[in-house]
Amino acid sequence: MLGRRLRRQERSPRKITGETLTILNESGAPDVVSPLHGLSSLAERLPDTLLVVAGTRADVHLAQSLSVPLPGTPLDPAEQSGNGLSVHPRVVFVVLEPDEKPSGGALASRVIEAAAGFRRTELVLLVACRSAALLGFDVEFEAELAGRRLDLPVRPLAPDVGGSGVLYTDLEDSAIRALVELCPRGVSGSGEERSYSKGSLLGKFPFRGRTGRRTTTETGVRRPVVLLGALPGPQEELAAELARAGVEVAGDLPGAADRLPPLDDGTIVAVVDPYLVAASRAAEDRGATVVRSLLPIGVGGTARFVQDVSTLAGSGASEAGHARRVWESLEPLRSRIRGKRIFFTGDTGLEIPLARFLVDAGAVVLEVGTPRLDRRFLAPELSALGEDVDVVESPEWRAQLERVDTVRPDVVVASPGLYVPLVARGHLCRSSLDLLSLGVHGYEGARRILELFARTFERAEKLDTLNL
Amino acid sequence: MKILRGVYEGPGSHGILRVAASMSGVHAVLRAYPSEWYFPALHGACTRTGEPAPITLSPIPEGAGGSWTPGNLARDLSGIARRRPEAETLIFARSEAALLSGEGAPILALPENPETGRSPKLVTCEWESPGIREVEAADLGLADLVKAHAQKGPKSPAPTVNLFGPPIFGPKAAAEYAEVERALGLIGVGVNARAPLGATVADLSHLPRAWANVVLYREAAESASLYLQDEFGMPRVTTPPVGSVGTGAVLRAVGELCSLDPKWVRRAVWAELARTAKLPWYARLAVPETFRGRRVALFGDLTYTTGLGYTLAREIGLEVAWAGTYLTHLEKDFLFHAGAFTDEAFVEDDPEAVVARVEETAPDLLVGTHLEREVAAALDVSFLPLCPPIFEYPFVERPLMGYVGSTVLADALEDVLREPRGPREKPETTARAPEWTEEALEELEEIPAFLRGRARRLAEEHARTLDSPEVTPEILEESRS
Repeated sequence: MLGRRLRRQERSPRKITGETLTILNESGAPDVVSPLHGLSSLAERLPDTLLVVAGTRADVHLAQSLSVPLPGTPLDPAEQSGNGLSVHPRVVFVVLEPDEKPSGGALASRVIEAAAGFRRTELVLLVACRSAALLGFDVEFEAELAGRRLDLPVRPLAPDVGGSGVLYTDLEDSAIRALVELCPRGVSGSGEERSYSKGSLLGKFPFRGRTGRRTTTETGVRRPVVLLGALPGPQEELAAELARAGVEVAGDLPGAADRLPPLDDGTIVAVVDPYLVAASRAAEDRGATVVRSLLPIGVGGTARFVQDVSTLAGSGASEAGHARRVWESLEPLRSRIRGKRIFFTGDTGLEIPLARFLVDAGAVVLEVGTPRLDRRFLAPELSALGEDVDVVESPEWRAQLERVDTVRPDVVVASPGLYVPLVARGHLCRSSLDLLSLGVHGYEGARRILELFARTFERAEKLDTLNL
Repeated sequence: MKILRGVYEGPGSHGILRVAASMSGVHAVLRAYPSEWYFPALHGACTRTGEPAPITLSPIPEGAGGSWTPGNLARDLSGIARRRPEAETLIFARSEAALLSGEGAPILALPENPETGRSPKLVTCEWESPGIREVEAADLGLADLVKAHAQKGPKSPAPTVNLFGPPIFGPKAAAEYAEVERALGLIGVGVNARAPLGATVADLSHLPRAWANVVLYREAAESASLYLQDEFGMPRVTTPPVGSVGTGAVLRAVGELCSLDPKWVRRAVWAELARTAKLPWYARLAVPETFRGRRVALFGDLTYTTGLGYTLAREIGLEVAWAGTYLTHLEKDFLFHAGAFTDEAFVEDDPEAVVARVEETAPDLLVGTHLEREVAAALDVSFLPLCPPIFEYPFVERPLMGYVGSTVLADALEDVLREPRGPREKPETTARAPEWTEEALEELEEIPAFLRGRARRLAEEHARTLDSPEVTPEILEESRS
């Protein structure tokens, strides 16, 4: 059906038909808010980490003007530092002037100046906007220089330099990737010493990640498991689920910078977010075993994830019974979304596992947009996605507006730029950023997802009964 | 290279996009990297109207894109021309990164739209450069659009004027136009066109039909109105219609340009002063002691800062401690106008430097942008966010210009000036401010200048909550963790 709708488009989409599922590449410009919008929430999630943004005034304006409450996102009192309009205090902007000659070390000096203003900084992430590279700054070198002089790890991030398609979560991916690269190597790892290991971060706490719960590698059977991704609450919940299955979690990223878990070829890395592609690649480069499984989003996903992780870690309890009980307990919620038709415009990268879960729970997913699709990384997810779901890679946002008007879904999970236009056209919407901050992981996360949609429908139904 | 807490203005492309999104029939093509895409989200948050922003991204291609990938600029432009019948004019903007990457503006003829049979006009902003910021770019962009469309034609039979006001996202923008239009209606002058907010492409071509141009917001319409003056001999009125004096001056100037009977204009003004404009009434009702010795500081753009500064100084009788603007390109203009009501006028685009001035002066009232809100709250200074940029988008907009605007201002002033003040509160604030020990001061000096103000406020606050008479290095450290 989608193919026919798309054919009206001038550029015909390329169609890739796998065994079960159709992926269309619309080759359009999707509506994705710049990843820099995530600076404040990233700073919130990384305690003791200073984010220094190197960019022009344009980049500062971008990061700053998007700290207004975006349409469709609730006011979060935790994020309202001061008046809610300023960026997080641990985000500092170094503004590059366009006519400036990039002299070596100048940026490093500013990073040092910025870091001097903050106590208890364990890590500096130097977020290099594209303009920094265009102006000729060697950000790697400046970070290295600043790191030496501060005696602190300073890691460069380049969230927006890459191939095709930008995801809203690219900043988070690159930050977690930097954390992965900073993790100490365990005893079994190579003896390679990092230049700043005499500094506070690596020297002080080589093995402190969740000390109490850490499994011993000496037994030779069980290997330490590190979780990659998720908010702190769901991280705990997932760790508890894994503990129930006999797996102890040695640490999770992102987490406190002074308690990075050891990560090397003895470690099992369990990625829990679908967009952490660069971070998971970095873990693989370290020699860690990255679990190939479904993501722990939704009941089925969590069950498969727990099962696969525990098998790899040498425990191997069956999750099937538990998953069945969770499904049963979710039945009242499930009945409220059964048959509902859902459309994802797609901007965060979280869409595919969410769609997979909602289909399992009885909803009908009409379209899953995704600005970029790593087929290899998401292979288990794609093969678990129902065959009736249309996946549209690189969707054109105007065409999506028209498609939403044509198919009239019950709810649209919309990017911030499309939220207001879609609501104005009479569609029920939830912001994709809402789902990002919901904590979608694990069995509890599955409940939260269903509750979010049930709430949305309930409120809309109540409002619809009004005689206006 | 500077460390900044924030910026007052966005890049030039943002100004062009604001002008384009203000009008109908104008479609902006933004040449940028996909990671610079945020206008639609901001547009949704600010306007909440539901119209998608009339903007198309032409992404700068990177790596090996497939043959279908958008990014070929000429093809993207032609595509919009063919597929978007409502786009009568395309305006081309380049993001800062696009400018830095060195790409030029395209020169091409656009194809016809199959529905309308016409090909849209293409306006390329050749003057774009990374040094030109949002407000200047909005001004130049509007001028380019006017140049591309304005056509000579007969004057309207009855006197009319064009209103040049703030573009979209301006605070209360639509309400400002409406109020000035209402006031002009009272003296029998109609509005030929509003620009840029709400203008159609046809409006742009009919601009020369009006008898004069009334410039409400010079920042955004200086070049366009000057062009119309030079090219079509249209006189312009540039006094900001802020306060009763400013509004009266605008009405009298328009009356003169339209050869109206001055008595008729005066009668209309008096009727408004009796019915609508409550600012002079408020100034007379309140006792002189309400205002005596109260110092106000203003920071913002050109129009609102000078208009409000003049009104607060002359109509209310507050002392203006200082007035500043972030519009570096309008420095001379600003200093000239602000000199009429304050001894200290300055240009500054670093928010932290403005904060330092506020701390130094400790005015009784601060009129500023949203970037001054935090310092006003920390110092317990009465604050009115009346100068753009302000992120406040109420569903009901109330103007700040015209006679109704003067009444809105009177209400706002009454709210903030009614609070007890002067001898009782002043010593209390100074008494409340804890002393700093030598060691703590030394520590404070080590903190980079851009963070020092904030650190000092936090430490003093922390000392107060601990009931400590002085700030020690320990308190300073604790407050910063």
